[in-house]
Amino acid sequence: MTTVYWMQSGGCGGDTYSLLSSNILDINDMFKNLGIVLLWHPSFSNISPTEHLNMIDNILNRTLPLDILILEGAIIRGPAGTGMFDTKNGRPKKDLFHSLAMNARYVVAVGTCAAFGGFGVDHSIEATGLQFCKRKREGFLGENFTSLSGMPVINLAGCPCHHDVISGTLMAIASGVNLELDEYQRPIEWYGTMVHQGCTRNEYHEYRIEESDFGEMGCLFFHMGCAGPLVPGPCNKLLWNGQSSKPRAGVPCFGCTDPEFPRATPFFYTPNIEGIPLQLPRGVNRAHYMVYKGMAAEAAPERLKKRTSKV
Amino acid sequence: MSNIIKGINIPLNRVEGDLEIHVDIADGVITDAWSCGTMYRGFEEMMTGRGVLDGLVITPRICGICSLSHLTAAIGALDVLTNIILPDNAIRLCNLALMAETIQSDMRQSVLMYMVDFANPAAYSLHPLFEDAFRRYEPLKGSSAIDTIRETKSLVEVIAIIGGQWPHTSFMVPGGVTSIPEIHKILQCRMIINNFRTWYEKRVLGCSIERWNEVITVGKLYEWLEESEKHSESEVGFFLRFAMEAQIDQIGRGTENFISFGSLLLPESTIVKKNAGGRFVASGFAQGTKVELFDQFKISEDISHSWYHQTNDGKALHPFKGSTKPYASGNSGEQYSWAKAPRYDGFPAETGPLAEMVVDESPLFKDMINKHGANAMIRELARIVRPAKLLLIMDIWLDELMENRKAPFYTSIKDIADGEGAGIIEAARGALGHWVSVKNGRISRYQIITPTAWNGSPRDRNNIRGPWEEALIGTPVKNPDNLIEAGHVIRSFDPCMVCSVH
Ligand code: SF4
Ligand code: SF4
Repeated sequence: MTTVYWMQSGGCGGDTYSLLSSNILDINDMFKNLGIVLLWHPSFSNISPTEHLNMIDNILNRTLPLDILILEGAIIRGPAGTGMFDTKNGRPKKDLFHSLAMNARYVVAVGTCAAFGGFGVDHSIEATGLQFCKRKREGFLGENFTSLSGMPVINLAGCPCHHDVISGTLMAIASGVNLELDEYQRPIEWYGTMVHQGCTRNEYHEYRIEESDFGEMGCLFFHMGCAGPLVPGPCNKLLWNGQSSKPRAGVPCFGCTDPEFPRATPFFYTPNIEGIPLQLPRGVNRAHYMVYKGMAAEAAPERLKKRTSKV
Repeated sequence: MSNIIKGINIPLNRVEGDLEIHVDIADGVITDAWSCGTMYRGFEEMMTGRGVLDGLVITPRICGICSLSHLTAAIGALDVLTNIILPDNAIRLCNLALMAETIQSDMRQSVLMYMVDFANPAAYSLHPLFEDAFRRYEPLKGSSAIDTIRETKSLVEVIAIIGGQWPHTSFMVPGGVTSIPEIHKILQCRMIINNFRTWYEKRVLGCSIERWNEVITVGKLYEWLEESEKHSESEVGFFLRFAMEAQIDQIGRGTENFISFGSLLLPESTIVKKNAGGRFVASGFAQGTKVELFDQFKISEDISHSWYHQTNDGKALHPFKGSTKPYASGNSGEQYSWAKAPRYDGFPAETGPLAEMVVDESPLFKDMINKHGANAMIRELARIVRPAKLLLIMDIWLDELMENRKAPFYTSIKDIADGEGAGIIEAARGALGHWVSVKNGRISRYQIITPTAWNGSPRDRNNIRGPWEEALIGTPVKNPDNLIEAGHVIRSFDPCMVCSVH
């Protein structure tokens, strides 16, 4: 048996709705298979407020073991560090979260808000992620926090996080598998490759067939602001809702798994110098990349230039 | 001596976010109520100074269950500024996606968030239908809960086919949409929708949509219910039987002012008929069942009881003039919620499927209100049966899309002029508006009024309660530790607190 307590704070509930689209199994079957007992979820539980308070007491005095504590949404610290922009019974919700976190075997931040702060880090709500605030390892629980299992916070980045990443993480923990994490504590399993990997527009990207207006069929990286080559994530590999991904449908990747999401510069636009994006695919050498792209455009086959494929 | 309990505070879940209500109770009946949205997220502040298209990416993140509605409102505001005629196919694709989202939301709210209370033993173990209710609605385990999760999961695939993913895509852009699905994907959408309809007719209605549409009076509703076991055992039939026994039809009357902004633009060439306001879902404001034309300039937001700096001497402002400057004063004093108080022509108004039915002149719902007044049961009923209206039209628009697949889905827009635009639509929960001002190519003001801001509104400066505060008055309380009846009243409005406190 694995117990799960799901809490929401400064967020939109989108990760919960993402999870309902789990491709692995429907969540009810998955929970049954894994022996997961969902102690509390704000959108699904039907116990009374008094029963809920008793449950929290039992977790805090450890008569009810808590295996996985999930937070969806950012910790809200504003105004001025009081947390009064997000309260429960007149008290800051962040305090309740803190006491639960001290009693959990694993703490999972689901979604970019919970992982890195997301919306509102630079605004009056003083949002922060659990262990990170954007790129800095100075989130709500502190840089040295580890849960009872010894693991730091597991960051399931994304806005929302991909359904199969949430399912997969629950599967791993319930099966006793320790997930390897990257520098921002995202499991390498899903955040070891770029969003770009697996996009149906890869061939356009390869030969630099660029989209400079919506609906043109081309790669969205050079003008339309696609962050696929810049940020990690499985959107084009696992697909969304078992069907597609934003870039496949002509919507640029907005880079939602990045600690700095939402970026400060306008969306749908690639900042560039003379047609070359300021930010190049993660890890490439600028000079080499320029030469390669120049040659690639020259080498582009007619069928691609004419966009006959319509995909 | 009467037994008076003052100011008890009840946290309420299954409301998409954080809601607490304070109530006074005398002799087992609620005598006064205050609705408090307890979280502030600051999206309007965040938008100021951003790029003109950024609302398309940021505002869907206000809400995980109706993110496309926010996208639609955001794009609607920009469409005013670009002033172009959208290609028919863009309208069809947007509408199809939006309808899929609405149906998803209606079914999930009804089964996973509303009827799930019927499976609460602490409240209903003595109800004659309890065992059946438990079998159906136990959280994530009941048979209806499992079905609902499976069927809605497949329905949202339609949105992923059209827009790449759900939730949180941004496939609607000024001038149209970013792509059109390939032929086999459009055909797949048709199959998904057909399958969903088969389930909806069999399990939710217990009859064909055509048969349901014959239910046009209260009398015919009772006849329908008794006509066959299929009807009485369907979700709608079971809901009615359980709710009447639990007297949910006796609570939650509310203000009986109804507002709908109207929704779903019609393609230029379509066989679907226009309603008041020129869209598929009519716009209008009604007092009781008397409907009048809707004018967005009659909307204002009052902040006298909300935790915001009292600009403009606390006078209500139209959203083109409104501001959002948070000021947490704690629990003392007049202010008690992060939600503002929207008013139409000075009146509070409820919004959502029931309001849509009234404004759309649905004979059944008008008859119900004329005979018995609004209540928590018919408000929820309107939500469970709304998909019947949408599914038929989805079919038509899919056919029209297939026939015109080669026609454009996007018109190039090079610049978006400075100015003001309002995107006003019906989200799953009712009237949603984005009011946007653009200056020097940047957003200079962004004001949003969400459905739950209407329904869960706090008092205004004349001390007039919001719709569900009003609807709570007179609600019986059997157990002050478990205000299940109050929960039924509030959840009949399908609250979305993350939206209302954006
Ligand atoms: S990360 Fe995105 S989907 Fe998750 S709560 Fe935040 S805004 Fe919503
Ligand atoms: S559209 Fe984006 S994800 Fe797809 S190939 Fe181009 S850069 Fe990569």
